[in-house]
Amino acid sequence: MKKTILNGLFLLACTSVWAQQKITYDAYDLPNGLHVILHEEHATPIVAVSVLYHVGSKNENPDRTGFAHFFEHLLFEGSAHIGRGEYSELVEKNGGTLNANTSQDRTYYYEVLPSNQLELGLWLESERMLHAKVDIKGIETQRSVVKEEKRQRVDNQPYGSFFTEMFKRVFTSHPYNWAPIGSMEHLDAAQEEDYVNFYKTYYVPSNATLSIAGDINIEQTKKWIAQYFGTIPQGQAINLYRDFISLSDDAFAARYNIQKSQFDTKNFMASSTPEAKKIIGSYLSKPCVIDRPQKDNQAITGVVKDTIYDNIQLPALFMGFKMPNQTHPDSYALEFLNEVLSSGSSSRINKEIVEKRQLAQYAFSFNYGLEDAGIGIMAAIAPKEVALDTLLAAFDAQITGIKSALISEEEFMKVRNKFENDIASSNASIAGIAENLADNHVYYGDANRVNSLLSNYLKVTREDILRVAQTYLTQDQRVILYYLPLEK
Amino acid sequence: MKSLYLLMALILTNSVFAQLDRSQRPAPGAAQKINIPASQVFTTANGITVILSENHKIPKVSIELSLGNTPRLEGSKAGLADFTGSLLMSGTTTRSKDQLDREIDFIGANLSAGSSSMYLSCLTKHLSKGLDLMIDVLYNANFPESEIERIRKQNLSGLQSTKADAGEMASNATRAVNFPNHPLGEIMTEATLQTISREDMLAYYKSTFTPKGSYLVVVGDISRAETEALVQTYFATWQGGPAYQAELGKGQFDKGNRVIFVKKPGAVQSVVYVTFPIDLRAGHKDQLALNVLNGILGGGGFGTRLMQNLREDKAFTYGCYSSLNITENGSWMSAGGNFKNAVTDSAITEILKEFAGIIEAQVRDEELSLTKNNMAGGFARSLERPQTIARFALNTIKQKLAPDYYQNYLQQLEAITKEDVLRVAQQYFTAKNCHIIVVGNEEILSKLLPFDSDGKIEKLDAFGAAIKETRTADISADELIDNYAMALTGTSSKKAAIKKVKAIKSYVRVSEISSAQIPFALSSTDYFWDGSKEASKMEMPGMVLQKSYFDGTSGYTFSMQGGREDLKAEEITAKQKASGLIPELNYKSKGMNYEIKGIENIDGEDCYVLYTTDGESESFDYFSSTSFMKLRTTNLRKMEDELIETTTTFSDYKDINGFKFGHTFSLSVGKMTLSGTVKSIEVNPKEVLPKDF
Repeated sequence: MKKTILNGLFLLACTSVWAQQKITYDAYDLPNGLHVILHEEHATPIVAVSVLYHVGSKNENPDRTGFAHFFEHLLFEGSAHIGRGEYSELVEKNGGTLNANTSQDRTYYYEVLPSNQLELGLWLESERMLHAKVDIKGIETQRSVVKEEKRQRVDNQPYGSFFTEMFKRVFTSHPYNWAPIGSMEHLDAAQEEDYVNFYKTYYVPSNATLSIAGDINIEQTKKWIAQYFGTIPQGQAINLYRDFISLSDDAFAARYNIQKSQFDTKNFMASSTPEAKKIIGSYLSKPCVIDRPQKDNQAITGVVKDTIYDNIQLPALFMGFKMPNQTHPDSYALEFLNEVLSSGSSSRINKEIVEKRQLAQYAFSFNYGLEDAGIGIMAAIAPKEVALDTLLAAFDAQITGIKSALISEEEFMKVRNKFENDIASSNASIAGIAENLADNHVYYGDANRVNSLLSNYLKVTREDILRVAQTYLTQDQRVILYYLPLEK
Repeated sequence: MKSLYLLMALILTNSVFAQLDRSQRPAPGAAQKINIPASQVFTTANGITVILSENHKIPKVSIELSLGNTPRLEGSKAGLADFTGSLLMSGTTTRSKDQLDREIDFIGANLSAGSSSMYLSCLTKHLSKGLDLMIDVLYNANFPESEIERIRKQNLSGLQSTKADAGEMASNATRAVNFPNHPLGEIMTEATLQTISREDMLAYYKSTFTPKGSYLVVVGDISRAETEALVQTYFATWQGGPAYQAELGKGQFDKGNRVIFVKKPGAVQSVVYVTFPIDLRAGHKDQLALNVLNGILGGGGFGTRLMQNLREDKAFTYGCYSSLNITENGSWMSAGGNFKNAVTDSAITEILKEFAGIIEAQVRDEELSLTKNNMAGGFARSLERPQTIARFALNTIKQKLAPDYYQNYLQQLEAITKEDVLRVAQQYFTAKNCHIIVVGNEEILSKLLPFDSDGKIEKLDAFGAAIKETRTADISADELIDNYAMALTGTSSKKAAIKKVKAIKSYVRVSEISSAQIPFALSSTDYFWDGSKEASKMEMPGMVLQKSYFDGTSGYTFSMQGGREDLKAEEITAKQKASGLIPELNYKSKGMNYEIKGIENIDGEDCYVLYTTDGESESFDYFSSTSFMKLRTTNLRKMEDELIETTTTFSDYKDINGFKFGHTFSLSVGKMTLSGTVKSIEVNPKEVLPKDF
């Protein structure tokens, strides 16, 4: 896929575009619905094991916000076979590292381990998927930790609330309305049962993607996956099993109308009494159904302008536009648009607003694409003496500019070159590869999109950029937030 | 068909499940061999050491230039190096900033510069263009005035926002307290930023950006031959003087814990760092054992002592970490995190407890192996980045490590024992001589007091400088002076005070002076006569060190080093403004500039602050708000370019002939402190000034 672009205007631009390095992978589904992606490369003897659960803050009940992120914490508490606090210790003492993150759309867990510890990583993640500890002790500990996280990242952070404040106003009729950190009151009000139900609904193999990259042997890896994940019950049988291990005899009997003694404690799924076989069979065929929110196509009503007083020294401007969801074909042109506006020192916003007019300390524009909708954010922190109205007018001049004429050939080539450079670097780490493959599978239904990114960007024309600017940078439909220092 | 498939899945599921015992934790496979590709090193005639780490996975090359200087003390121009670094990309003699920005962005490259480094990364095919731009900045940066002012303004705003950033304030305080009078402890402020000129920048740029002693680290999709050609083309003509090198101090080691508080109004959390300097430099043989120690305490991930105790057990915080910073210029240890106000004191207790614990007893086997495995894993993971290989090569040279240090790293790590860890803990760590930095809400201040060994919490501003809090005074300067005179004379009216002052025509006072820095006792004698004339001498047995004389219209000073010097006209004018037994009483008539600044708390006592300036120096006098006695004077005098601060304290006032004389005093200038005791005072003696003075 070598493509030559000729451009008479620039001697420099006589550049042969480098073919994007291809990421190869194997992908398949287990009978229980778990999607598996495997990428093999041996440069460094390490492996990344990750599981993406397709649950984020948008799946939360509006009066139980913060649950998805809370689970990201809770699911390090241990499992039926892993003691409290032992999860991370097992990874660390075997030379690995681990973490997790939560967005509006998904929760992502990963370990990077020496490659001879791959089996350990698979066991750990399968334990989390099958029977994690979701109990009151863990809930209470992690409640306090999450509250501290919110204090540190949101409350005590200058402008830390802008994310919450912006989403609240841009998404008035979609669960993107609240931020993943959620409400501490909701977490406090929730009962153990609420947490257990969340686990049962969203933490099931059919809602997960196992993505592995690094120094692996594909054949051996598949065997281990069959062993650790293939044995996780499918359908609602997983929740029957979870209740079996967590409920008391009476509670279990009351719920399922069958005594726990009918089952094999050591090997639940192999229980041999006819009653047990019958109920297991019926739960295996009951699917795990997840109600997902609809795509959000509703425009912002007019201009929503608010002032927020925060514990800050310098005033700031944040602006939000409604954008299409991330799989929309216009996303590439929107990325392009933002590059022209604010990427690099020579970008329009930096040159004009920061350097020439000195109306801002920092100023930037980016597109945040999500599964059901997107948000375009423009923001700037102003020096003390600059009025935010002036700063806003300067942004508006840039918006009007990019909506009224094609970007220059030079800008166009510059951004293409930048994408080429960025994409060359984007798959440098195996952890990044595992995550990119999983994301592309879940959101685009096509993990292979990682290999066509550059060609997608190179299809964008200057006319596309003008069109998306005119379509989406709606000055009469946007949110404008002024951040001002609290009076001391 | 579908049901058959389901049935098969069911059978398959059950049968495999039956074989798996989930309580069995998988054992690791055979350990993988770690292979560190060798870097290539060569030097150039003009003094550059080139380090090449080839890696052709991605068609990109990065080039890092690291200069050979040590950082300098910048004093009143603190921030000069960083400010200069941030201006380097602002244009050259051949390209304006706009041109430079456009050309860099056009090839999708990253070109940046710092106070003593430059960095380029781009696709291999754009490398020669990238290097053209890099050397243009390296050789021809021209620091345009307009850009200097723009970046200065931006920095000023940045300094403003530091005042709202608790983490930034805590890190400033950490640096200032651990490294006073050391480049690591110097922090740019609004005042220092304003003094930096274009000439300062050019001088810094010229002397720092020199090939001698520099390192050029080349990483990526490039061969040895191409690298040699590139160095020849772009760097062979680069010339410059020797790189600045200075011996740097090791930091501030104190006795007893010091609590250092930085106020952040309205904070809901405190940022806490328990910190102290460590007396070793990068490349020291104890570094690896210290890294293991830090890993066990709080430098690793979730399983560390700090994290398990303060997050997992107590739920005080989202994260509690320790960090060990071992650099070529100075090293320090720090442990802490963000804690809500109500548990800030408990968190400090627990952190100190963890320090004490790790110093007192050997670590457990599991912790040791956990941390060592964790570090070994981190080492393996770091090899994924080609930059790591180049950094290893750079460290090996700069820190004079064994040539096979990194090849043997894992074996050396494995060899570290519990005894090694305890030894370095006892040698380098402390739980009793720590700097406890707290940035937060003042409402928690009283709870911090018990942690401070002398019960005095030091308060710093956002930039690590000591602050004094001043309240408005409830009396005027003249009322203060009158009260002071009445207090000295034990009278209740100004008139009565003046009468008593007049009765004391002369005195001779002899004091003994000692200092930790001087191995023998000194004697000092002060003479006062005719109600306004004065002289003094300081001597050691058999030798006069200093003398001064002033008779109201002329005088001189004498010192062993400088000999006799007559007072200059300005000095005489200044002295005339503050003469008399109680000079303050004559301020008004003699034309001294004086005003009351307010009330400050000095060592637990509220004091009125009287500010004076006589044209030669400025003084702040502190009078007790209850007794009105003078407790302290701080004098600021500019000598050449330096500001000399002298602080004198007075205490033990005793009545002699109806006038209260202070009987003990101390004098401190810089790090030097003298303390004095009055041995005798003779009022209205027959002979005041001896003939042989």
